[in-house]
Amino acid sequence: MSADIKRSVSLYSYQDEYYDGKLDLEGCLRETSKAGAAGVELLAEEMIKQFPNPILTEEFRQKWNGWLEKYSLTPTCYDAFLENRIYDNRTLSLGEQVEMMCRDLKLASLLGFTSLRTLVSTPLDVIEGSLAYAEKVGVRIGLEVHAPFSLNSTWAEGYMDLIRRSGSKYFGFIPDMGIFCKKVPDVVADKWRRQGAREDCIKLVNDAYEERVSKGFVKIEYDLDLGRANMNYRNANGLSDLTQKLEAMGAGPADLGYLNASYTYSWSDPQDLIDNIENIVHVHAKTYHTTKEYVETAVAIPEVVSALKKAGYQGYLSTEYEGGESLRDAFDVDGIEQVRRHQEAMRRAIEG
Amino acid sequence: MPGRQIYDPNGFRNVEKDGKTAGFAFKFKLQYYRGITLSIIRDIKVKIDGEDIPRENIRITVNNETFTLEETRTVVSSLYRWEFGENAEITVLKEGGLTAGSHHLSVLQHIAPSYMPFPIQSMCETDFKIA
Repeated sequence: MSADIKRSVSLYSYQDEYYDGKLDLEGCLRETSKAGAAGVELLAEEMIKQFPNPILTEEFRQKWNGWLEKYSLTPTCYDAFLENRIYDNRTLSLGEQVEMMCRDLKLASLLGFTSLRTLVSTPLDVIEGSLAYAEKVGVRIGLEVHAPFSLNSTWAEGYMDLIRRSGSKYFGFIPDMGIFCKKVPDVVADKWRRQGAREDCIKLVNDAYEERVSKGFVKIEYDLDLGRANMNYRNANGLSDLTQKLEAMGAGPADLGYLNASYTYSWSDPQDLIDNIENIVHVHAKTYHTTKEYVETAVAIPEVVSALKKAGYQGYLSTEYEGGESLRDAFDVDGIEQVRRHQEAMRRAIEG
Repeated sequence: MPGRQIYDPNGFRNVEKDGKTAGFAFKFKLQYYRGITLSIIRDIKVKIDGEDIPRENIRITVNNETFTLEETRTVVSSLYRWEFGENAEITVLKEGGLTAGSHHLSVLQHIAPSYMPFPIQSMCETDFKIA
């Protein structure tokens, strides 16, 4: 099948403009359209006050549909959060979590979305328990594969089993392109420089990252204790050794901070996309910094788009700009311009 | 000054109760990218001019409703979310409030979104003046 790759924007990208009151929800939709995207991805809990109440009203939905029409946008993916530890003294029961997932599937369908992003912390049995309802409302559940997780891993295997066992088309994966970082984003190093990180320490961390890219990362395992899963993963990928090396160099907290930050990015072979294409619901096109020349400084856009073309991908690439978190301590963040550049970088890769 | 504004510059004030200055208040925004139920606030730690404020002397107000930090543990209503991009007001009970002049405030916002492997702790520091 020949590929049909479309572009979308996740409104996560405009969080700094929204925070500052420069853009409201409609303003974000207008900017999405101006950036050249055909689709929009929504985090209802980010931009809809008194969540989820307005979504349940005809009045709000009319307004929403009017905006989609006005700005020629297709709703692509609804980002849900499954707040299963909403109370501090217990995790919600399986039944309560399924109920919450079904609520979110319903909200997604009410706003016209055809897929729902669920997070890596979502237990397998919650997805299994929600599949029949997902099918009923016509919304596919996509499990986000966010760094440091990866497709083709023991972590993904349990979820793959569910897909095979259930035969359902209503569950699959949403890779986040932060798993295709060849480098640690430059804006991240710059942030730690401002905190006092030393050049020799930054170099050590960057070299170690690039060595992991060339040798291959040790993959993270399925574990609902995400803190433990992360620490095991980090140590299996050399964190404790590098910590010792930095300490021997007399490194300070900013150097160690940068080292730890480097473990929130990862590299998977884009071949993983080809191997799993039938189960890819949507893609988060994560971006940290796109230059004036339309080059993403960390994420391998050309390689990822090339793999998706080869695989015949039919869905959206949804810009998710995250560079702001590395800038906002010292600079004004321009999410609008970063989204525009990133959309153009993707357009060139897709059409080129 | 470039960079994100966390505190409302017009939000610092002393708080009167029964004709006495019972404490002070300030307004700030949540350092996260979506609104939250108050139940996932694990702590708000306030230090004013180097003095730690006991947890029981802290109140949070959203949508005109005020809660102790003990009470927030069970607040899951849609009406009382700490909305993204909106201020919450923190009231600190402290007899006599703050003296006129300059003060230094540091507040830790400690929240625990369910999916995060580690909680989010944001230290928010500022200098301000009480008229």
